[in-house]
Amino acid sequence: MSQVRVLGELAVLDDVGPARRGRAYPAAGATSALLLPAAVLLGGLVLWPVLRTMHASVTTDGHWVGAAHFRTALAAPGTGAVVGRTVLWALLVPAVVTALGYLLAAASRRSQEGGLVRLILLVPVALPLVVTGVTFRLMYDPDPSRGSATLVATRLTGRSVEDAPQLLGPGMVTVALMSAFVWAWVGLAVLVFRSALDAVPPSLADAVRAYGGARRHVLWDAQWRPLLLRTTAVVFALVAVGTSRTFDLILVMTPGSVRDEASVLALRIWQTSGGTTTGDGAALGVVWLVAVIGGIMVAALFVRQAWPPPRVEAAPEPAPAAPPRRVFRLLAAGAAIAWLVPLAVLVATSAHGRVDAAARGWWSAPPNGESYRDLVTGTELWRTLGFTLLLATAVTATVLVVALLAAYPLAWLTGPAAQATGLLLLAASVVPIQVIAGPVNEVLGLVLSSGTAQGLALVHIALGVPFAVLVLRNAFADLPVEQVRDARLGGRRWWHTLRRLARHNLSAVVAVSVLEFVQVWNDLVVGRLFGGPGASPLGPFLAEQTRGFVSNSGALAASSVLASVLPVVLVVLSRRHLVAGLVSGGVR
Amino acid sequence: MRPAVRARRRTLLRAAAAGATALAAGCSGGTRSVQVAVVWSTSELDRFREVVAGYPAPVQVVSAGNDIDAFLRARHLAGTSPDVAILPRPGLVTEYAERGWLSPVRASTGYAVPAELGELLTAEGQRYGVWVKAAHKSLVWHLPSMLPVQPVDWDALVRRTQELAALARRDGGPAPLAIGAADGWVLTDWFENVLADVAPESYNALARPDADWQGRPVREALDRLAGLWSINGAFVGGGRRALLTQYEESVIQVVHTRRAVMLVGADFTADVANPFRRGSEAPVTFRFPGTQPGGGPLIVGGDAAVAFADARGGVELVEWLTRADSFQPWLRAGGYLSPNTNVTIGSYRDGVGQRLAMEMRAPGTLRFDLSDQLPGAFTGSDGVGIWRIMQGFFADVTDGVRASEAIRRVTGLLAAAARSAGGGR
Repeated sequence: MSQVRVLGELAVLDDVGPARRGRAYPAAGATSALLLPAAVLLGGLVLWPVLRTMHASVTTDGHWVGAAHFRTALAAPGTGAVVGRTVLWALLVPAVVTALGYLLAAASRRSQEGGLVRLILLVPVALPLVVTGVTFRLMYDPDPSRGSATLVATRLTGRSVEDAPQLLGPGMVTVALMSAFVWAWVGLAVLVFRSALDAVPPSLADAVRAYGGARRHVLWDAQWRPLLLRTTAVVFALVAVGTSRTFDLILVMTPGSVRDEASVLALRIWQTSGGTTTGDGAALGVVWLVAVIGGIMVAALFVRQAWPPPRVEAAPEPAPAAPPRRVFRLLAAGAAIAWLVPLAVLVATSAHGRVDAAARGWWSAPPNGESYRDLVTGTELWRTLGFTLLLATAVTATVLVVALLAAYPLAWLTGPAAQATGLLLLAASVVPIQVIAGPVNEVLGLVLSSGTAQGLALVHIALGVPFAVLVLRNAFADLPVEQVRDARLGGRRWWHTLRRLARHNLSAVVAVSVLEFVQVWNDLVVGRLFGGPGASPLGPFLAEQTRGFVSNSGALAASSVLASVLPVVLVVLSRRHLVAGLVSGGVR
Repeated sequence: MRPAVRARRRTLLRAAAAGATALAAGCSGGTRSVQVAVVWSTSELDRFREVVAGYPAPVQVVSAGNDIDAFLRARHLAGTSPDVAILPRPGLVTEYAERGWLSPVRASTGYAVPAELGELLTAEGQRYGVWVKAAHKSLVWHLPSMLPVQPVDWDALVRRTQELAALARRDGGPAPLAIGAADGWVLTDWFENVLADVAPESYNALARPDADWQGRPVREALDRLAGLWSINGAFVGGGRRALLTQYEESVIQVVHTRRAVMLVGADFTADVANPFRRGSEAPVTFRFPGTQPGGGPLIVGGDAAVAFADARGGVELVEWLTRADSFQPWLRAGGYLSPNTNVTIGSYRDGVGQRLAMEMRAPGTLRFDLSDQLPGAFTGSDGVGIWRIMQGFFADVTDGVRASEAIRRVTGLLAAAARSAGGGR
């Protein structure tokens, strides 16, 4: 066990004995007050709205109607297909992402080009989903003279231009959407799997080999059983919950005529209820909420571990092992190239003016900077970027402070109380905002106003706090007892202790900050529901332009590129902290 | 929440807001500005700002975009409704009025709109909104060089479409029609034009709660549409492709890539067409053809201004907007069609605007956009309501489904949608 020394001496406390959390963090009633900001935010803007939605789902104008809304909502034409499609998304997409993520993580290990491959795969993770949607809609444009994927598909199938395959048509639209989603999420899975693979002690594999184990035995006994089973479950659950974000993609990628064929619960609720939450919309929302929270709870129970978690011995410097076989390395390189193609299409389209981008393919006209020039000389994009930057910074700072304060007392909890808070925070962090939009608006009306920057920021903060508290609490709880003792000895006041603890957990703090910032920067749905005049962030700004997708494609591609620079740079620069912070805190 | 509590909360909020505003006003030394939420954005928004710059008091214009309904609902829940809103559908005006959100408004003496329009904005005998902008939705656009002779009636249009489609099939010429069927409103505009021509006397009844969507007029109109839409090669790339074509792309297909000859579209099509023009040739229009030569239908859309209950200065601003000279800056800039018949024809900058304004004043022919009057979700948006239903019909008839079968399906869906939205038999 690693030991931290104070002034070169091992700190000795009077209560020597086996290190136990309860002694390291003595409970103090006064510090519970630190929970107050987080509790008020979550209570007012998450818990209360959830209860209101549940209430609305069984009442009409305050009168009890039982399950009537549920019956109407579920009997409405097409609801069965919508529910089925939502389930398909939540099962198929995570399976593909998990499998691909594992394969590519294994294939890109221990090779020279592996780092570059992982870097390329990481870029789509950081992009706003709106931008991903724009990118894939450009590729899948039904006109082979513009859509590069459609052109390739036409050539491959040997069809005529008039009979080109339509990836955005009713038959294929869900597949098209899923491909975009997989593209965006595989990098995250690779990142998590890679850190899991690195944590598996190589000696285990040696031991299996020493007993005459073949390659598959090594895979099974030295990789899968000890660690990867848990990691797989975590990745699967993360992606499954992430599929509730498909809303952004559907809104951006599907023309109005195929929206029904692509619809999932998120979209159906939006269409039924808009910004309010009543009757049928509330009933559908409750169904969705129960499914999402139930799913994450099952995943959480599946991967739960002792609390506080047992210390994992720091893995010794891994012995240089042989890189993966050539065929795997080629697979990794091929994937990296395939992942670059959509990015290249986006950038190439952005290098064309309005008329060129709308009338022909990016490959058939010489590039120019017309779209960028129009954007940069206009005021609208700058105003939007400035506002989003301000919003994301303010929200991130607030979330960090609120979450640090709350995580400090929560990290002392042990036993069932700790498990229960963990589950509660996990549940709160996956509540889909569409479900509680109406009640949230009512609450905002009491304190501020919806449609203002402050109201928008408040919603973002409330949605960001649970996950941040969870990560930071877990990170605090993971600290070796010695470090906590040091901090408590060195800090005369609780905030000194907190500061010292936060410093020991730099990775978790960085991970929370970057994720929160990128989340707000990339958001569409919160901006759409709670933004308004004077409070119009990037997501809605981009999505609004897709109404005339083809005629705007040059400007849309250029603003997408400009909008993506900051989140990509942030995620790429902080990727090590992200993994370390999440693995130490969030993914549990 | 009980109304009394809500009222008290609103009063408190108002008081707080008023206090804050008074403070701000005290600092800046000005008076409180009237807040207007509008659907417009970009150039239209700029134009409207120029218009209200002529109002004696300061006016703050905020663009709520296309989701203005959701925006206003949220603001109402939050107790911070604007003073005035400009709504894209008359259905919203009556809906809000019935919920008690609106204050009755007055029109100035210079305000005169066609009777068919005026009555749409009243509820229980009170006027709750005024028209501030109109859209002429019965136009067919084309380049003069692509279509030397304009069809004079519906049969001529069908014949011309058949000839051009045959040419296109034989030697790959331009398709007769471009259509942005991915946007449901394009299809409802087609339907409304045909319906207003086939059954002008039944048109308005369909907007009423007891509408009969399976009756003869609807079936006849759909049958006429099916006759044209089902022509092999009528649309660029075929029906499936047309369903993925957005309206703006269909304009490009006519004015830029010239893959199609004609396009049915409203007067605002010019705004889309201008940046994509090739060379000096500008697109021209003719009236959507009807049964009789020169007697085509006239479908009009429009935006209405309303004042919210307990708004300050809202009713006065709405009244000012109805004056014949208030919208002069926008008239001079072009791209604006006034619903007010007291606006002199000479105020329009160009010949097209003057012609459209004249057509709006011809008595007895005008019908207001039907889908904009439909209740609840039936009114349509992407994937919802009549938009979605008409897209299904378009997919059927362009895919070889027999017209009678397609009509049976679509009328069933229309009737069901009308019922579940609280109207129809």
